[in-house]
Amino acid sequence: MSEHERHGASLEKSTKDPAVREEAHSTWSREVLSEIRYKAEHGTHRIRGCGTPRPFPGFNDLTVLPSQLTRMAVDTYREPCETRTVLGKRFCTQPLVVETPILISGMSYGALSKEAKIALARSTRMVGNSINNGEGGLLPEERAESYRQVVQVLPSRMGFSLRSIEAADALEIIVGIGAKPGLSGHLMGSKISKEVAEFRQIPEGIDLHSHPRHGDIFGADDLVIKMEQLREVTDNRIPIFIKIAAGRVREDVKIAAKAGADGIVVDGAQGGTGAAPVVAADHMGMPTLPALVQAVRALEEMGVKDEVSLIVSGGIKDGADVAKALALGADAVALGQSVMAAMGCTVCRRCHTGRCAFGIGTQDPELRARLDIDTAAKRVANYIKAMTHEAVILAKASGKTRLRNLEREDLRSLSLEACAMTGVPLVGTDFTFTEPFGFF
Amino acid sequence: MVVVDAATLAKRELNRKLNSLLAEGERSIEVHNPGSMHNLGTALKGGGEITVHGSTGFYTGGFLEGPRLVIDGNTGWYTGDNMLSGEIIIRKNAGSNCGPSMIGGTIVVHGNTGGRTGLGMKGGDLLVLGSTGRWCGQMTMGGRIVILGEVGAGLGESMYRGLIHVRDPQAEAKLGGNVEFHPISADEVESLAQLFATHGVQADPKSFMSVRPMTSGRHHYTIFNPQLSGADGR
Ligand SMILES: Cc1cc2nc3c(=O)[nH]c(=O)nc-3n(C[C@H](O)[C@H](O)[C@H](O)COP(=O)(O)O)c2cc1C
Repeated sequence: MSEHERHGASLEKSTKDPAVREEAHSTWSREVLSEIRYKAEHGTHRIRGCGTPRPFPGFNDLTVLPSQLTRMAVDTYREPCETRTVLGKRFCTQPLVVETPILISGMSYGALSKEAKIALARSTRMVGNSINNGEGGLLPEERAESYRQVVQVLPSRMGFSLRSIEAADALEIIVGIGAKPGLSGHLMGSKISKEVAEFRQIPEGIDLHSHPRHGDIFGADDLVIKMEQLREVTDNRIPIFIKIAAGRVREDVKIAAKAGADGIVVDGAQGGTGAAPVVAADHMGMPTLPALVQAVRALEEMGVKDEVSLIVSGGIKDGADVAKALALGADAVALGQSVMAAMGCTVCRRCHTGRCAFGIGTQDPELRARLDIDTAAKRVANYIKAMTHEAVILAKASGKTRLRNLEREDLRSLSLEACAMTGVPLVGTDFTFTEPFGFF
Repeated sequence: MVVVDAATLAKRELNRKLNSLLAEGERSIEVHNPGSMHNLGTALKGGGEITVHGSTGFYTGGFLEGPRLVIDGNTGWYTGDNMLSGEIIIRKNAGSNCGPSMIGGTIVVHGNTGGRTGLGMKGGDLLVLGSTGRWCGQMTMGGRIVILGEVGAGLGESMYRGLIHVRDPQAEAKLGGNVEFHPISADEVESLAQLFATHGVQADPKSFMSVRPMTSGRHHYTIFNPQLSGADGR
């Protein structure tokens, strides 16, 4: 046995030693090694679907205070609690009215199969909320099935025209998304089928890295004029939202509000995507919880909190998240990955490969056939109904007859981190670290 | 012929007035005192011709659908953004990002344009009789851009579809990534000759070259490009 072989054998032996193998290395974890190997092999950064798996502080770090003697509880099962939500009433005549403040966020036809888009649209008719078309045009099938339709104005403008504006119940100008702020839409070649290619006016099978900035909005000053133009085109009828990825939220929200947005969508760093460079998903942006607080502070500082609707997204998973987001000052939340999960997605993070075994994130006809549209629609509707129940349960138990009456004072932080980030007092104290969030 | 004094109207009132005149069947409208107004001509519909005497601001003729809009002056950035059909004729110069995401119709600029002419364009014709700045035709998904004068660097960067005709002798050296440079085809010569005839342009279509998306359609991007010195890298 050579020196090398002996060394190899002893290494082999040592890694089989249970004491050695059980010890997780803090730096050279399995994931880190896998990343290094990928880069060493391909000479390029890695792409992945869904949101970042990194742990971030979130709504679970807050708790809702129940009503006891300081106020009366509202009967969960027998008394009403309003969930209907009016969004974007600032400057338009027909705001977006939804029956629950839980919306379906913009996910493109391309990233998702046509069947998944139709199922999502169909679900909105069962619960009375809205779907958002996402990048690459508005599928006529989606519009035909949706209860309320949000249409995105994206930098690429693929499939977008005056006709899409006419079909919209609200417009959403996209500046960025939480999973890859500052980057453009990615749609990998395996998902650019003939149909998707024709819909987007691009060649079939290419890896698409779409337009990162609006060709007709180069900066905030131009956005002001653009908003005036869109107001004119829509004749002030429908609301116009601006969606930003959570970065410098306090400033960005102020700019969006100043530009005349009726609503602002803030997408936190945990937000999902069909495909993003891993480095951007993992290392850019602000998590949803602190982003929401910053957005609320910004609107309050401008004195327009009651005028401008605030919609938050990124990792929202249950009714408790909804209740807490509303208590912090959101008017609604939007869902991406969780509604995919309701349809059967296992968040495997391989959406970019186009090989989704559940027929959701794929354009392959055989895989698409696996998604039963009716069942998927029903499951999404069920999930949103159940989430709404959960939010209502918390709201009523803390004495509210309207979901939107949840307020900051109903919350306490369970961790020092959440307390410092949000300015919501730590449980068992009346104290906050850093900037308090305005109720003591 | 109807004369409208823009100085007496807010811009939305002006556009509303123009649209109602067009809807009533008015074929010829003259607009005076545009005062570099932004969003002039937003979403005008129908037939007819509107001549604006003076210069306009940003987003002139955005979402235009049908009419012929003549600007006897300069226009600001984003002229004809998202336009569907009709014509925008600019007698002088247009700012940057002329015709972004335009879907159809024709824009003719008698003077020069700034950078990113036809950015993300999806259809229609964009004809510049003067010169244009950098990144002309970047990421187009359709349509045709014709530049008679000089072009800037990054020409046609990452076009997906569409076509650019240029006759700047330096054009090839100024190509952006992911595009190809070819002699103009016989069909293209014919079609270009028609465009020139329609707009009274004196130029020989045969003197133009074609910038096209890569045949494979597959783009390559260089994020890191080490400039190694010397043959042995030292
Ligand atoms: C498959 C998929 C496709 C998406 N496509 C778009 C898109 O086209 N436009 C957009 O603004 N956001 C897009 N997003 C982001 C969502 O709109 C939303 O911001 C995000 O999913 C919210 O986070 P969540 O997934 O954790 O709920 C996409 C997300 C997913 C999961």
